[in-house]
Amino acid sequence: MSIMPGRLRNWLDERRMTALDLPIWLLGMIVALAWFAPFIWMVSTSLKYPSDVMTLEIEWFPRRITFDNYIKVFSYPVVRWGLNSLIQAVTSTALSVLFGAMAGYALARLKFPGRDALFALFLASLMIPTEVSIVPMLLGFIKLGWASSYQALILPTIGNVFSVYIFRQFFLSFPREIEEAARVDGAGPLRLFFLIALPLARAPAIAATVILFTLNWNNFLWPLLVTFDESMKTLPVGIAAFTPVVGTHTQLEGFSVAMAAITILSVPSLLLFFLLQRYFIQGISQGSIKQ
Amino acid sequence: MSTATLLDKQAARRGPAADDDRRIDAVGYLFVAFFTIPFFLFNILPVFFGIYVGFTRWSIVGSPRWIGFDNYAQAFHDKWVWVGFQNVLLYGVLIVPSVTMLGLAFALFVNRGYPLSGLARSLFFAPNVVSATVIGLVWVWLLDTQYGLLNHYLGFLGIEAVPWLTSTQWSLVGVSIASVWWDLGLAFVLFLAALQDIPSDLTEAAMVDGAGRWNRLRFIILPHLRPVISMVVTLQLISTLRIFSQVYVMTNGGPGTSSQSPIYYVYQVAIVRNLFGYASAIAMLLFVGILVLTFLQRFMLSERA
Repeated sequence: MSIMPGRLRNWLDERRMTALDLPIWLLGMIVALAWFAPFIWMVSTSLKYPSDVMTLEIEWFPRRITFDNYIKVFSYPVVRWGLNSLIQAVTSTALSVLFGAMAGYALARLKFPGRDALFALFLASLMIPTEVSIVPMLLGFIKLGWASSYQALILPTIGNVFSVYIFRQFFLSFPREIEEAARVDGAGPLRLFFLIALPLARAPAIAATVILFTLNWNNFLWPLLVTFDESMKTLPVGIAAFTPVVGTHTQLEGFSVAMAAITILSVPSLLLFFLLQRYFIQGISQGSIKQ
Repeated sequence: MSTATLLDKQAARRGPAADDDRRIDAVGYLFVAFFTIPFFLFNILPVFFGIYVGFTRWSIVGSPRWIGFDNYAQAFHDKWVWVGFQNVLLYGVLIVPSVTMLGLAFALFVNRGYPLSGLARSLFFAPNVVSATVIGLVWVWLLDTQYGLLNHYLGFLGIEAVPWLTSTQWSLVGVSIASVWWDLGLAFVLFLAALQDIPSDLTEAAMVDGAGRWNRLRFIILPHLRPVISMVVTLQLISTLRIFSQVYVMTNGGPGTSSQSPIYYVYQVAIVRNLFGYASAIAMLLFVGILVLTFLQRFMLSERA
């Protein structure tokens, strides 16, 4: 330790780190950067000329950049797919957060026969993987004539138990005094909920919104199955077809266009995550730990 | 609403003590109805409908024909069902331990609270928030045999180019690498939350007693994490049994059927071969497998407690 310069020593001491912590810290940060590096590579490739993509030299930061790949992406109906995705994700999220908040509030705060059995059923349903019900549901939607429609994209995503759970947890620890005071003033349960309880439930509302929005925005299997029309595809399903086919021309120029397409696709969820990550991380750990 | 308000008024007259045990908020049914109706229609009903469909021969056109257990009998003799289940076990063997161990290692690192550990936390979690399409396409590019980054850097170690996604031997490994990158975030966050729950005086006391890093990890941290480890393993195993999207985007189950999964086969049977009854039956078999695993985990957890 005597070989360590005094300044480094002080720096470590201020952070309550020992000499052994330094290599661990450096290694960990390198791993963290490497873990994120595929995203950098994605953006970097998306800005390259197709002829600069399939090369043996690795250029993390392109010498010359172009936006042609992005322009090529827009020669596909991505605007329409993006709109479909947005309509689906916004509607699904808004409905499941609102309905989840109402149900979560009722399960935590109101008393009625069957309440606890209902909650137990909600929790038990988490054991059902969506993949099991997806084939019969598809058959049902086809028979109803609802394939390739917005209702097909939206309706099956509303009943998300996560939303109920996170609001129930919040309202269980919510001080009763505030409601009692309003109740004495003659406020009914509907007014109590919408004017007093819901506005105070900001934290679970934001957590549920960002997590469910991401989930809905990324949803893959169901939109893939239920959209037969090119114009009703969502962004992840439409862009999945950008995979360059090995051994063909698309492989040669495909990766730069494909990377541009998935950069567009990943920006909303990555942005949401980096801006509101506290809610993401708390929401996810609260939502799954106690199940 | 009116009955509820009436009940509320009666309750208020009786005073706060009576209020809590005898009150019935009929309006509660209205509150839960908005959620419960779509929940029953789209989460519960399809399961029962699926059980029925599994006993029929049914395609997009035409009406169902009841065939009893024929679909299940057929599944047991279907080579591709077995291939799918065999592959998914291999996926499990590759993905579950990797996600658990890396997730734990990353969480232990971030939990040390070194400078910039907030940044490290974001970077480790980030892949978890993007869609399967992003994961799939990024990794098809990274795992490209000739120009992919992974083979490029492995080349420095003297490792010859691996045909990650284009050979029957490696395709399952290639898809697993992408899946670990995608799935790790959840395990990482769960471990991190559990580590932050460990009372700090416990680890500090051990430090005062002279316990080194290794002993603290072994005798204090790991025993404390046992339930979370069990939960992460189960959650990851279940999500791996359901593996589909990244397979679809990256390899289409191929080359051949080397990276096919049960859900991928269900998808093919339903969409390509238009056999909805048979597809439902295969999905039911997978569901039973998942239920058994879930109960095993619950059972093992309660045994320990």
